Amino acid sequence: MSSHVDMRVRIGSLELRNPVMPASGTFGSGREYSEFLDLERLGAVVTKGVSADPWPGNDSPRMAETPSGMLNSIGLQNPGVEAFCANDLPWLAQCDVPVIVNVPGHSVDDYVVACERLDREDGVAGLEINISCPNLDAGGLAFGTSCAAAAEVTRAVRAVTGRTLIVKLSPNVSDVAEIARAVEAEGADAVSLINTLLGMRIDTRAFRPVLARGVGGLSGPAVRPVAVRMVWEVARAVAVPVIGMGGIMNAEDAAEFMLAGATAVAVGTANFVDPLAMVEVIDGLEAFCASRGIKRVTELVGAAWPNATAR
Amino acid sequence: MCAGGKPAVENITVVSNARVARGVGRIVLDAPRTASAIRPGQFIHLRIARDADFILRRPFSVFRAGGGKLEILYQVVGTGTRVLAEAVPGAEMDAIGPLGHGWEIPEGTAHALVVAGGLGVGPMGMLVEQLARLGVATTLAQGAPSADRLLAREVFAENCRRVEVATDDGSEGRQGFVTVLVEELLASDLPDVVFVCGPEPMQRAVAGLASAHGVPCRVSLERLMACGIGACLTCVVSTRDGKKRACVDGPVFDAADIIWEQAGTEAARA
Repeated sequence: MSSHVDMRVRIGSLELRNPVMPASGTFGSGREYSEFLDLERLGAVVTKGVSADPWPGNDSPRMAETPSGMLNSIGLQNPGVEAFCANDLPWLAQCDVPVIVNVPGHSVDDYVVACERLDREDGVAGLEINISCPNLDAGGLAFGTSCAAAAEVTRAVRAVTGRTLIVKLSPNVSDVAEIARAVEAEGADAVSLINTLLGMRIDTRAFRPVLARGVGGLSGPAVRPVAVRMVWEVARAVAVPVIGMGGIMNAEDAAEFMLAGATAVAVGTANFVDPLAMVEVIDGLEAFCASRGIKRVTELVGAAWPNATAR
Repeated sequence: MCAGGKPAVENITVVSNARVARGVGRIVLDAPRTASAIRPGQFIHLRIARDADFILRRPFSVFRAGGGKLEILYQVVGTGTRVLAEAVPGAEMDAIGPLGHGWEIPEGTAHALVVAGGLGVGPMGMLVEQLARLGVATTLAQGAPSADRLLAREVFAENCRRVEVATDDGSEGRQGFVTVLVEELLASDLPDVVFVCGPEPMQRAVAGLASAHGVPCRVSLERLMACGIGACLTCVVSTRDGKKRACVDGPVFDAADIIWEQAGTEAARA
């Protein structure tokens, strides 16, 4: 039954075998999960953030559980682009799956240096620019919260790479569609959203924030309605494809994002709960379509919009 | 010895679950795959409940394993362990395991000192059994708030040549922290290696004492974890070789490698 569903989707120049990929930062560089699932089942692998120089990350505690979710403030700890290209990419590149490398930065130059380096690697299919990480004082937040800054970094990166360019948007803004239009105008091939929502927990015994950095990024099912709403707004505002994410735990959740207008989806926190979560989402999404007589998964995209043909 | 089998997600069933001391439970899980693959000092990442409003797994050291079963000692500290404490025989859960880098017993060890404070006994059952199998003369220094919270004493009595206890209230053994016993035992027993688990300030103190006596010391560190398999970088430990992940590089580390000042919640809040 399920073999009748065409699960392929297109993001920029990439044709993905299905619309499901990991959310950056929840899947390491892929290899950590390869003992549990076949990476070649995935639409793409999206790596942890890889910056121009090594980043040490934040102090501990870096995580706090919250109702139906979690706060993290990892601080994009990573060994830098050279170490990534030397140690992580070769293994990943020999897997038959498109590799999308997530790139954070403290400055426009940081993004450009990392993207130029990654653009030289045949194993890199696409770049996802993190303009929205809420964890760093000097980091992505400024880029993701202003149209001008978001446009500037997109323009600078676009100038140094022909690879599929995805800009990952911050939800910590008043009008996310405006930012999406700004990065689309500068040549982004797709936008992904949402990154984590800024949040905080206070330890009521210690009278201190739970996280060493005070604030962190909220993820998990708790944020899903916010994410669906933002995907809905952005998908209706831009022509490029949207990769939707935020608390997807199963196929129904993934379908919800696609019905809101996402062409593809990313699974994040659910990978921590179940290392096999993405495979279940892929199989479940296929079954979801098949059981409704949907022949192509792309038929779901934006199907909940007011002007869409009701099923 | 320390690598164990490949980790996998295993559906498991609760065999028994009982309170063994104030705020402490002992749960036995039917988990044949993990039980046959796990090595001393490794842990499992347990999904206690589905469709609950706490979604993350909890890591638990495995106290003992055998006959297809895992035995875990746990302290009720929050929502997850409160729900765990209510699990009845037959309840179904799933676990990722075996995980982590467990205890390494140095070649030629003739005499070991095992130090456990409170719930620090958690990863020590399989260790003392292994030491006994290897013919290592093991001394246990066990600390707890009071006599009724000295856990799993029969397992240690069976596998250790000597057991010394300390209680905060003096209700059994020496009154005070286990570190007092450790200082004496390092001098009198001359162990080849020290294995320690417990509250981090205690671990730090024991590591310092072992170092002062020139004795190698291994510590099993406890950290909050999300994924448990090396991806999320939640559980990092500061070491002389940079930040390491407690879930895959640990939870057992060589104490000499740990940078205690930066490591852990206690240090951060001190």
